[in-house]
Amino acid sequence: MKLFPLYMIELVAFLLIILETYVFFTFVVPLGPIPHSLTDYTALALLKMLLIFALGALWFIVLDGLTRLYVRTRVRSAPRPSS
Amino acid sequence: MVEGGLLILAFAAPFFLLVGLFPSYLRALTRMGHLAEDAHKNPPTKVPMPAGPLLFAGLVVGEVAVAVGFRTLVPVAVAAGAGVAFAIGLFDDLYVLGGKTKPLLLFFAGLAFVSLAVLQPTLYRADIYFPILGDTAPHFIIYTILAVVAFPVVANAFNMMDAFNGEISWFALLTSLALLVGVMLRTLFQSGFSVSRMASVLPLVGVAGAFLFYNRYPSKAFDGDSGSLMFGAAFAGLAVTGGVEIAAIIAIVPAILNSFYTLSSVRGFVERRKIARPTYVGDDGLLHASMEEDAPNTLVRLVLLTSSMTEVELVTSIVALTAVACVFSVATSVLTWVF
Repeated sequence: MKLFPLYMIELVAFLLIILETYVFFTFVVPLGPIPHSLTDYTALALLKMLLIFALGALWFIVLDGLTRLYVRTRVRSAPRPSS
Repeated sequence: MVEGGLLILAFAAPFFLLVGLFPSYLRALTRMGHLAEDAHKNPPTKVPMPAGPLLFAGLVVGEVAVAVGFRTLVPVAVAAGAGVAFAIGLFDDLYVLGGKTKPLLLFFAGLAFVSLAVLQPTLYRADIYFPILGDTAPHFIIYTILAVVAFPVVANAFNMMDAFNGEISWFALLTSLALLVGVMLRTLFQSGFSVSRMASVLPLVGVAGAFLFYNRYPSKAFDGDSGSLMFGAAFAGLAVTGGVEIAAIIAIVPAILNSFYTLSSVRGFVERRKIARPTYVGDDGLLHASMEEDAPNTLVRLVLLTSSMTEVELVTSIVALTAVACVFSVATSVLTWVF
């Protein structure tokens, strides 16, 4: 059970993938009107790519944030050597 | 019936070849003086290294059997990517490459892999399947770029999981088993998906399984960078050819957590002398986590923050974390291919 917080971080990684998949298919894929010119098509494609990378970055930021929170909690609750 | 035999051969040939050849190979390494210090023993011991060449030979034997049996280039592409990573790792084992040179050179592993798509356009599909909701539209250029980038990223992630006795062999075995389940489910539930892609995963399982006998605590062999980079590149190639990218990412979450250390290093690059050591061996012989708040958050430090441990306890904890990640990976595969 000592590893429980780390298992929870792994669970969050897994659940975030599922959640971001839902966001991806529900909001990113159908985004924008049907493009009629090459410029519109390129702009829409770039916007979608940007949003996909933002979802990927969010995954990393959340995991990194949880890791830092875990470390800070552990370090601050550790017994201090008496001087 | 023939396919069943080929599947058994794809696993058994590399597995038994390595189990049989390892003792004489390790004796040869010892005779030639290729020994590395096992720094976590007190007093430090010498262990034969690198086992990478034998591991790669085993992988090639298995992949060639699949290529000939199923008449496909999929295992050839996997072996090509793994081969380039192995060669870079072997050079690093013998002569030592710079910290930035190695990741940059590993792009060639990805290029070797995708270049075979010229000969076999069906080498990989340019769409990504997500759990429950299905697949994206195919984008060949974007997917190919991502596939090339995956090789240095994943190979380095595996390389960074190679610090303690048995860590890399357990990690490679468990993650390749999760990958195998994912590709097997896709083979079962998606019509027209070739069994050869599942067969291509089996040599990696066989090699990792055989290596575990010699790499577990107390290690009789170290794989060196040639082995760990080869494991990572093979894993990346198999995730791409098997089309189980998302499940593969979930399986290696412990390595991703470990790689946040790299981000810490990059951020601290300007003031790298100020970065504290993440762990240390105490006077009690146990491994301890550094209590400095700015020490890099390696996976080992995250585990040791729960309590100080022996090397065996530490590796057992990392194996447990990897096993849980692989269970989530299998759940991802079930949600992707069964529902």
